[in-house]
Amino acid sequence: MSWLGRVFRRDKLDRELDKELRFHVETREAELRSSGASPEEARRRALAEFGGVEPIKEQARDARGTRWISDIGQDVRYALRMLRANKGFTAAAVLSLAVGLGANAAVFRVIDGLLLRRLDVKNPQELFLVETTDAGTSRFSHPAYLALAEAAPAAKFAVYTAPTSGQLLIDGSAELHNFQLVSGNWFSLLGVPAAAGRLFDSNDDNAASPQPVAVISDAFWLSNFGRARSAIGSTLTLNNTKVTIIGVAAEGFNGISVGQRVDVWAPVTMQPGLNYRSNASTDNADQSKPWVSQSGIAWLAVIGRAPEPRGALLAVLEGKYHQQVEARIADIHDASRRARFLRDRILLTDASRGVSNLRDTLAPALTVLMGMVALVLLVACANLANLLLARGSARSREFALRLSIGARRGRLIRQLLTESVTLALIGGAAGLLLSIWGAPALLRLVSTTSTAAPLVMPMDWRILSFGFGVTVLTGLLFGLIPALRLSRPEMQDALKAGARVVNAGSRRGRPQVAKVLVATQVAVSMLLVVGASLFVQTFRNLMHIDIGVDRTAVLDARFDTRLAGFDESRLPVLYARLIQAAEQLPGVKSATIGLVGPVTGSARTSGIVAERYQPPPDEDPIVQEEYVGPRYFTTLGMRIVAGRDFDERDNARGRKVAVINEAMAKKFFPGLDPVGRGFGYDDVKEIEVVGVVADVRFNGLKGKVPRLAYYPIAQHGDEFAKNLYVRAAGATSTLPSAIKDAIRRVEPGLAVREVVTIDELAERTVSAERLVSRLTAAFGFLGVFVACFGLYGTIAYSVARRRNEIGVRLALGASPSSVRWMVIRETLLLAVVGAVFGAVLALPLGRYLSTLLYGLSPRDPLTLAASAALVVIVGALAGAVPAWRASRVNPTSALRAD
Amino acid sequence: MAPKPTDLLQGTLDLLILKTVSLEPLHGYAIAARINATSKALLQVPQGSLYPALHRLENKGWLAAEWDETSTGREAKFYKLTRAGRQQLEHELADWKRLTDGIALILGGAEEPSRS
Repeated sequence: MSWLGRVFRRDKLDRELDKELRFHVETREAELRSSGASPEEARRRALAEFGGVEPIKEQARDARGTRWISDIGQDVRYALRMLRANKGFTAAAVLSLAVGLGANAAVFRVIDGLLLRRLDVKNPQELFLVETTDAGTSRFSHPAYLALAEAAPAAKFAVYTAPTSGQLLIDGSAELHNFQLVSGNWFSLLGVPAAAGRLFDSNDDNAASPQPVAVISDAFWLSNFGRARSAIGSTLTLNNTKVTIIGVAAEGFNGISVGQRVDVWAPVTMQPGLNYRSNASTDNADQSKPWVSQSGIAWLAVIGRAPEPRGALLAVLEGKYHQQVEARIADIHDASRRARFLRDRILLTDASRGVSNLRDTLAPALTVLMGMVALVLLVACANLANLLLARGSARSREFALRLSIGARRGRLIRQLLTESVTLALIGGAAGLLLSIWGAPALLRLVSTTSTAAPLVMPMDWRILSFGFGVTVLTGLLFGLIPALRLSRPEMQDALKAGARVVNAGSRRGRPQVAKVLVATQVAVSMLLVVGASLFVQTFRNLMHIDIGVDRTAVLDARFDTRLAGFDESRLPVLYARLIQAAEQLPGVKSATIGLVGPVTGSARTSGIVAERYQPPPDEDPIVQEEYVGPRYFTTLGMRIVAGRDFDERDNARGRKVAVINEAMAKKFFPGLDPVGRGFGYDDVKEIEVVGVVADVRFNGLKGKVPRLAYYPIAQHGDEFAKNLYVRAAGATSTLPSAIKDAIRRVEPGLAVREVVTIDELAERTVSAERLVSRLTAAFGFLGVFVACFGLYGTIAYSVARRRNEIGVRLALGASPSSVRWMVIRETLLLAVVGAVFGAVLALPLGRYLSTLLYGLSPRDPLTLAASAALVVIVGALAGAVPAWRASRVNPTSALRAD
Repeated sequence: MAPKPTDLLQGTLDLLILKTVSLEPLHGYAIAARINATSKALLQVPQGSLYPALHRLENKGWLAAEWDETSTGREAKFYKLTRAGRQQLEHELADWKRLTDGIALILGGAEEPSRS
């Protein structure tokens, strides 16, 4: 029978062996009987001659070579029985591990998906972006791109725009989807195949005859067409223009912007047709004419493919770019400005991981998170270690007994290791399940939009193996220590009667190790608590910044009139109808229109000249611009410092007016009353200041307050507003859907992206801080919880071990409260030592956090003190139950029990 | 006084079993009896070693086992030599000859080299 056969046919083999040996004995017996012995004597002698049947059977079984497998099977079954019998211990260990590992795996999966994972295209390491050192201009005009590509024929280049929101008409109602304009060789450069139909080629971006074609993503094909072939060749209405779907990109391809999903791609030549007007810097050019052929409009990002090393390529591109810059500044004679332009350099940045805004804002936060989660794992492993050590000691008598009846030391060690590894594996599996749920949940927290960012996060084998590796290592390491200790031959002393009062084997080593472990746990959870409270306070500080606007009472309905295809002439009527519809809703005080928004910032800046203002020589006197409807400032709850709000007087027929903010007033009209004064772009008499308002955190909670000029939108008919602001009289919970419905009734062709409070928008500008504060709080809590568990377990165990001692004390007259105090004192000592240790560690580590904090220093003494107090209190609570149990020990039963 | 039966080393026991079985298939009891008889009671197989050895040889593939009826009608497990076992037997015989020749030379050459 083969070895494998022998493994699985153990029963049959055992039966045969039995039969064989019996045959032997009975044959001898028959022989003896036939030579004259009595049946009983024959049997006795036959058996005696044969020797011990069982040992022979054991040896025969050993000879099979399958012994170790059945041993391991036996060990595992035994381990499972022991774990079931000690449910509390098992639950504590499994829970600690599950939490520690699950959290780690979840955070790592998000980090991997966002920061580390490479694009799912051919040879991603060959991809690079062409950027410039002057970061604001990493966009190129189409002619400039063609010139660069021509200068370096050895590499391949393509251009693209960042994903933008576009309005698709689906079944009569408008939906917003991300789309991207790309050059004809985009898909072939990336090496993305088609899932159906065909993808773009060089014919599709012919500037002379723009092709109204589009490629859709596989996810969009699935959700809107059910992957039907009929989708190819059908038409899509994007931004009010009909385009024909010519193909579907391969499954899983969502563009190269990590964290954003692109549903539709169109050729760059469709820019005018699709009304694409975003992200462009213009220089002596006409934005209303098609952009593709204009060298004065820089609106495209350039991506290239070439194998490393790219030094020579960089030199060639550098040379060509320099030529382009020289041509652009040909009519600038100011030497310092020329120098500024000429300092611009080309950079070739790695694009193998795609591009991502999310990544840049979140990278530091995620790193901090990874650190914290690693600490939680540390606490969990320390817990496991302590529990294993405690369990080991409890079984010292059991092992002493087994040693004395002949168990081999190696066998015992192997069994203990099997137990701890089994426990570790169960914990690891639980942790894995937790991370399967946890990673998407974490991702939802991370995303700044209302739906989760579409990151690719498959269950990674790296995580699995790392997780299991850590668990098994922990199990082995912390199972080995008690295993070695317990299987020493001297353990047999434990069997002696005296062992009841004095614990054999508990000299020097064991209690100290447990105490050190627990103190370390407390120290680590102290670190977690300090970190968490620093971040929570940072976020709170940020959220309490006065942004200058009434955050909770004002709702913002966001849409895009340009995408909806509105003509400029229809805008004033639209705005009026929207305001009217909103103001008619119950619970609404007033409504108004705005272009950009009070916290989300705007990149629109211009240089001005102001009455009686002389700018210093080297300065560009710029302001930011916002366009708003009537009664804007009162609707948003902004403080009017001087002058008035906009109203119906400020229309196209009247004099051009503006309201400025305090920052602009201080800069351009220092010491004067700005109301009534003038400024303009070329002439100081263009615009009259009619009011001054308090500063608002226009560029986000952390951004600098800009100098801002507000213009009435009625006087700027070419501005396509994007926001309807509604001031609520009271509760705002029912308003969002009411507002959405009202807008839809007024204008069904206008897609409303969302309706949110200003508060929510403000929070989004600090989404990274919000994320960090929530998660560090969660992990801090987790760490403390696990450490508390560990502390409880150790103290409870220590009390259980000392039952006899406690019994003696009580019997001799000690009061229950003194026993309680004895236990609590032990607990508090551990907690305080741990807290101090943790505080000492926190001081140098805090330095790394200072850039992430706002409004407080990492060494904030109040935080440290409060965290220490929390940790010590939790420690005291952990010891409370064992202390109470200790005082309730019945002296007689304690002394009598074994 | 009859000399005490010599204790056999494990390797030697394997050799004896293989040799005994090479003539005809036998069951365990018969193998022990045959060794005892053929060696004129000089060698006694310790019963504790017999069956472990048989099983070990079977697992190594040198013996093949089959359940069969004995002459008395009872069922017993018969062992026979496999081809690999036959080769192993020759190796071990050759080793044994070398060993005993060498020992004989050292001890003074008075003994006859053992008959193979």
